[in-house]
Amino acid sequence: MAFAASLVNWFKRNLVVVAGLLTLAYLLLPNVVVTVFSFNRPNGRFNYEWQQFSTDAWKDPCGVAGLCGSLSLSLQIALWATLCATALGTAIAFALVRYRFRARGAINSLIFLPMAMPEVVMAASLLTLFLNMGAQLGFWTILIAHIMFCLSFVVTAVKARVMSMDPRLEQAAQDLYAGPLQTFLRVTLPIAAPGIAAGALLAFALSFDDFIITNFNAGSTVTFPMFVWGSAQRGTPVQINVVGTAMFVVAVLFVLAAMAVGNRRNRRKA
Amino acid sequence: MTTKATTSRPDAADRGGDVRLTGIGKTYGSFTAVHPLDLTVEQGSFFALLGASGCGKTTTLRMIAGLEEPSSGTVHLGDQDVTALPPYKRPVNTVFQSYALFPHLDVHENVAFGLRRRGIKSVKKQVAEMLDLVQLGEQARKKPHQLSGGQQQRVAVARALINHPKVLLLDEPLGALDLKLRRRMQLELKRIQTEVGITFVHVTHDQEEAMTMADRVAVMNAGRVEQLGTPADLYENPRTTFVANFLGTSNLIEAEVDTRGGDDLVVRAAGGKLALPGARCSAPAKAGGKVLVGIRPEKISLTHADDAGSVPEGRNRVTGRIRSSSFIGVSTQYVVDCPACPEFEVYAQNIDRDPRLAPGADVVLHWDPAHTFGLDADQSVLAGTTGEAGIAEGGAA
Amino acid sequence: MPTLTEAPPPPSPPAPEKKPPLRRGRWTPYWLLLPGVLWLIVFFAAPMIYQASTSVQTGSLEEGYKVTWHFATYWDALSEYWPQFLRSVAYAASATVLCLLLGYPLAYLIAFRAGRWRNLIMILVIAPFFTSFLIRTLAWKTILADGGPVVDVLNTLHVLDATGWLGWTSGDRVLATPLAVVCGLTYNFLPFMILPLYTSLERIDGRLHEAAGDLYAKPSTVFRKVTFPLSMPGVVSGTLLTFIPATGDYVNASLLGSADTGMIGNVIQSQFLRVLDYPTAAALSFILMAAILAMVTLYIRRSGTEDLV
Repeated sequence: MAFAASLVNWFKRNLVVVAGLLTLAYLLLPNVVVTVFSFNRPNGRFNYEWQQFSTDAWKDPCGVAGLCGSLSLSLQIALWATLCATALGTAIAFALVRYRFRARGAINSLIFLPMAMPEVVMAASLLTLFLNMGAQLGFWTILIAHIMFCLSFVVTAVKARVMSMDPRLEQAAQDLYAGPLQTFLRVTLPIAAPGIAAGALLAFALSFDDFIITNFNAGSTVTFPMFVWGSAQRGTPVQINVVGTAMFVVAVLFVLAAMAVGNRRNRRKA
Repeated sequence: MTTKATTSRPDAADRGGDVRLTGIGKTYGSFTAVHPLDLTVEQGSFFALLGASGCGKTTTLRMIAGLEEPSSGTVHLGDQDVTALPPYKRPVNTVFQSYALFPHLDVHENVAFGLRRRGIKSVKKQVAEMLDLVQLGEQARKKPHQLSGGQQQRVAVARALINHPKVLLLDEPLGALDLKLRRRMQLELKRIQTEVGITFVHVTHDQEEAMTMADRVAVMNAGRVEQLGTPADLYENPRTTFVANFLGTSNLIEAEVDTRGGDDLVVRAAGGKLALPGARCSAPAKAGGKVLVGIRPEKISLTHADDAGSVPEGRNRVTGRIRSSSFIGVSTQYVVDCPACPEFEVYAQNIDRDPRLAPGADVVLHWDPAHTFGLDADQSVLAGTTGEAGIAEGGAA
Repeated sequence: MPTLTEAPPPPSPPAPEKKPPLRRGRWTPYWLLLPGVLWLIVFFAAPMIYQASTSVQTGSLEEGYKVTWHFATYWDALSEYWPQFLRSVAYAASATVLCLLLGYPLAYLIAFRAGRWRNLIMILVIAPFFTSFLIRTLAWKTILADGGPVVDVLNTLHVLDATGWLGWTSGDRVLATPLAVVCGLTYNFLPFMILPLYTSLERIDGRLHEAAGDLYAKPSTVFRKVTFPLSMPGVVSGTLLTFIPATGDYVNASLLGSADTGMIGNVIQSQFLRVLDYPTAAALSFILMAAILAMVTLYIRRSGTEDLV
C-alpha cells in the first residue's frame, strides 16, 4: 500500500514532466519516421510502407531528377531573402526603438499585419499584383515574396534585443570620443548582434521552408518544398527523406556546436 | 574668433578646467526640467549637485556632457564654448549611473575604448597604469558581468579618467552599491580626485555622500539651485526650508517677530520667546511678521523638568514631553511633543545618560541662541523632508 | 590648428548665434524606415488593395477584367463555400485547443523542471523546423497508415468507434478524416504555441511559487491563481500564432485529408491556380482575412479585459 501510495504521489508530482515528454515525443515522432524511412527500399512509387533496409538513397541523394536543383534554388533564395530581410528589418527595428517620428502606429501595424495574416491571403493578393503588373513569375517573384514575409519577423527579433539594450551604453561610447558611426559599429552593432542573428536564422528557416506563398508566386520554378509537394502527388522518392534527415542533423549539430563554443568562451573568460 | 583660438591661449590652461554654465535651462514640452541657472565650478574642485530624484540635477550634468541639448544658455569649459559640441568632441567624461560598461568588451578594452577612439595605438601601458590606480590590474581580461558591483564601479571610473578629461562627471556613481561599500568608495573617489587633480562634478541624492566628498555643494530642487556653498555652510546656514530639511534634520517652529534689538532678533512662539542672531535670518524680519525658526537636533540639550532651574540664563528654551526615544549607540534620539512644534527632534550624545529621560517625562529643551536660524515663513515647513508629503511639498515649493 | 599663434582675442560674450542641431539626423529614422516600409507597402499593402478591387471585377481571362462593383461575387462565394469556411474555423480551433493542452506541459517543463536538460529540450523543439514541414507532414501518412500500429491500437481500444460516432473518423481509417487533418495541424503549429508560452513562463519569478505556497496555496491553486494568469500573454500570442496560420492552411487538408475535409485554403488555392476564377478567389481570400481580423480583434479585446480581472 505504501508503495502504491508513493507511486501515485510520484506520478502526481511529475505529471507535468510526463505530459511534457509525451508532447516532445509527438513533436519528434515524424522526424524519427523520416529518418527511418530514409533507409527504406520502397516497393512502389510511394515511400509510406516499410519494406527493406537499404542505404541506396544515402549513396545517391541527387539520384532523382530535379531534387538537387530545387534544393540549391531554395538555398539561394533563402540566402538572399535572409540577407535583404535582415538588412531592411534591422534598420526598421532601430528606427522604431531609437527614434521618435510620425506615423509610428501605422508603421507598427504594417509590421504586425503580415504576421497576423494567413499565408494564403498574402500569397493570393501578391499573385494578383504580379498578374496585374504582368510580371514574369519565377526566381524574382519568389524572392520578393520571401523578403516581404520574413521582414516582420526580423523586425520583431531585432526590436526585442535593441529594446533591452541600455541606451546609456551608446551615450557612454559618445562620451568616450566615438562619433555616430564608431558608436554604431563598436557598440550598438556588437550588442545587437544576437538579436540580428536570431532574426536572420528565423528568416532563413521561414524562407527555406515556405510552401504556400511560393506555390502561388513561383510560376513553373520549383523550390525544394514545391518539389516535395509535387512528389506527394506523383510518388515520393526516398531521397526526400535523406535530405530531411540531413537537414535535421545539420541543424542540431550546428546548434550544439554554437553552444559548445559559447560555453568554452565563458569558461575561459571566467 | 574661433573657439580653437581661445583654447590655445597660454593662460587658458589655468582656467581650462572651469565649468561655467550661463543661463542654462532645459524644457521638455511644457515641463521645465531645469530653470535657467548660472553656475561656475572651479578647476580642480570636487563639486556636488544634490537633490531628490527629478530635481534636474542629472539633466544639468547631461547638458555638461553634451548628452542633452540645453533649451537655453551656454556651457563653457574654461574659455571654450562647448554648447554646440557633440559629446564625443567634448573634453569631458562621464561615470554613468549603473556604469554602462560595454558588456561585449573585457575590462581592458572598456578602459582603452576612449584612447582607441582618439586614434591612440599603444594603449597597453596606460591602461595597465590606470587599472593599477583603481586596483584592478588582475581583472583586465574579465568581462564586466564577472565583476562585483564595486569593481564595475572602479572600471567605470578608470574608463573615464584615462582620457584625462578636463572635467569628470559622475552620475550617482555609488547608487548601486551597498552602504558599507559606498562609504569605502566615497573615500576612494576622494583619494583619486586629490591624486589626479581633475574637476569632479558629482550628482547624488545622498546628502551625506555630498557632504563627505564635495568641496562645494549645490542643492537643487524642482529645477532650481536652492543654495550653493560649502557643506558646513549649507548645514549651518540653510536659507530655505528645503535645504534645512534635505541636509540633515531641522526643527522648524512657526513664530512671530517680536522685537529687533541690536544684532539679535526676538520672536514669539507658543507663548515663549526665542532669540536668534539677526544675521542668520534669511527672511525679512519686521515686527509682527512671521518667520520660521530653525534649530538642528544635535544643538539642543535636554533637561528634566524637575531640574528646570539649572538651565543657564540666556538660552532659548522650550518645554515639552518626551514621546519616544531610540538609542542608536553614539547618541540617543528623542521625539518631544511641544506646544511650539509637534515633533521636536533632539539628538543627545551618550555621555551621561539621565535615566529619567524616558517617554512620558516632562522636559525642558534649551540651546544657545547663536545656533538658531530664521527662514521665510512663506514656504512649506515640510519641503525637503522624506516621505510622500515632503516630496510633494518639495515639488510644489 | 592655423590659429595657434594668433593673438588671443578678447573673450567675447557668448553671442546668441544660431547653433547647428546637436542631435544629428532629424531625418535618420525616415531613411532607416524607408526601404523596408516601402517594400511592405508595395508587396504587402498594395496587393491587398489590388485584391479588394479584383474581388469586385467581372469578366473573363480571355477578355480581361473590369471593376464593375459586382458584390454578388461575395454572396455567391459565401453561399457556395460556407462549409469550407466553417470547417476551417472548426479545424483550426480544435488544433489550437489541442496545441494549448499539449504545449503547456512541455513549456512548463522547459521553464521550471528541465534543469540542465533545458537547452537540449529547446533544441529538440526547434530543430524539426529545419526539416521541411512538408516532409514531416508526409511522415504522418506513414504513422497514421491504414492497418498501421497506431490505427491498430486505436481500433483495439475502440477509440475509433467513439471518434467515428462523433464524425471525426470513418470506419477503420484515420487517414483522410478530419482527425488526421486536425492531428497534422496540431503537429505543424505546436512549436508556435510552445515558444511564446515558454517565453512568458520563463519570466515568472520562481519565488512567486514559493510565496504562494507560503500563503497556504496548494500546488493546483498556485497554478490556477499565480502561474496561469501570469502566463496569459504567452497563451494569447500562442493561440493567435496557431489559430491564424491554421485557418488558412491547406497543406494538411490536402496531404492528410480527403475531398470531404477541404478547408478554405484549398478552395482559394484551386480557384487561383487551377480554375483561374480570380474574382471569386479574391473575394474568398478577402472574406477569410476579414473574418480572421474580426475574430482576432474580438479575442484580443476579451482576453485583454480578462487579464485585468
